[in-house]
Amino acid sequence: MSTAMNFGTKSFRPRPPDKGAFPLDHFGECKSFKETYMRCLRGNRFDSSRCRVETKEYLECRMDRQLMAKEPFEKLGFKDLEESEEENKAKL
Amino acid sequence: MLLPFLLRGCTAKHYVQQALSSTRLCINCCNVRRLATSSGQLFLRKTPQRFLNQSRGAKVHKRKHQNQEDDWKKRNKTVLTYIAAAGVGMIGLSYASVPLYRLYCQATGLGGTAVAGHNTDQVETMKPVRDRIIKVTFNADTHASMQWNFRPQQSEIYLVPGETALAFYKARNPTDKPVIGISTYNVVPFDAGQYFNKIQCFCFEEQRLNPHEEVDMPVFFYIDPEFDDDPRMARVDTITLSYTFFEAKEGQQLPIPGYS
Repeated sequence: MSTAMNFGTKSFRPRPPDKGAFPLDHFGECKSFKETYMRCLRGNRFDSSRCRVETKEYLECRMDRQLMAKEPFEKLGFKDLEESEEENKAKL
Repeated sequence: MLLPFLLRGCTAKHYVQQALSSTRLCINCCNVRRLATSSGQLFLRKTPQRFLNQSRGAKVHKRKHQNQEDDWKKRNKTVLTYIAAAGVGMIGLSYASVPLYRLYCQATGLGGTAVAGHNTDQVETMKPVRDRIIKVTFNADTHASMQWNFRPQQSEIYLVPGETALAFYKARNPTDKPVIGISTYNVVPFDAGQYFNKIQCFCFEEQRLNPHEEVDMPVFFYIDPEFDDDPRMARVDTITLSYTFFEAKEGQQLPIPGYS
């Protein structure tokens, strides 16, 4: 498909990921977080917006176990979650 | 009786001769060339005007011809210069067309080229477009000689552009030997592929699985919020992400995708 050299035909050009590749989780350290996330997805009819907290937790697990480069969550699109957390903390 | 006739004849001849000489004098003193009138021509034995014109005309003609030739030569030279310039221009254009076409493709996104200027910082600032729900289906393939069991852990996910999402694949190595795999991905429809941005995944790098090992492979991605603004994407509700795993051989150098 993407090697067809016809002029004008749409072809797909794969792009490398922005932050590189995930190192493999050989020891299953974050497996429980993944299971939580999958359960949340199945429970919510695979609606990703309802399971954002679980997504964030999984990524946190990876970052803690050196399976992902540490980054502030705003850069990963969790700005709204961070803000609500800060509000909760401020209330407390 | 004849005498008076003769006498008269003589005097007539004399008179004619006199008249002729006087006209000659007359004409001689008025500059012959310019004022040679037709009446003068009648009396004078000079070369008639048309012959004079011819000799004068021949010289003028020659000069005119010379000028015309010069003109033609000049015109030929300018035309040749223009043609030579056009030829050099065409050759230069054919060399310049390669980077120019690349720029054009990137600007218009023709042929599914990745649009230049994909901003990685927009993840921070993008706002999810709540009213546009997109279904992303997942597909997993392996190459014929690749012995892994590779499958997605969810068949589909519903999300909106501008929101990051996580998806999982699972891979298992059922053999007794460690196998190194490398994967690539594909997005259908092709046009939507330019809006599909992966923050992190497991593709394009060698992944090694030990014998009888099973791992979860996450893909962290989002769809660009500009997806909603594109009129070509107005009817697109489903995007399919498809990964294919190949076996990587030792010492194999795979090219990094994308235009360099």
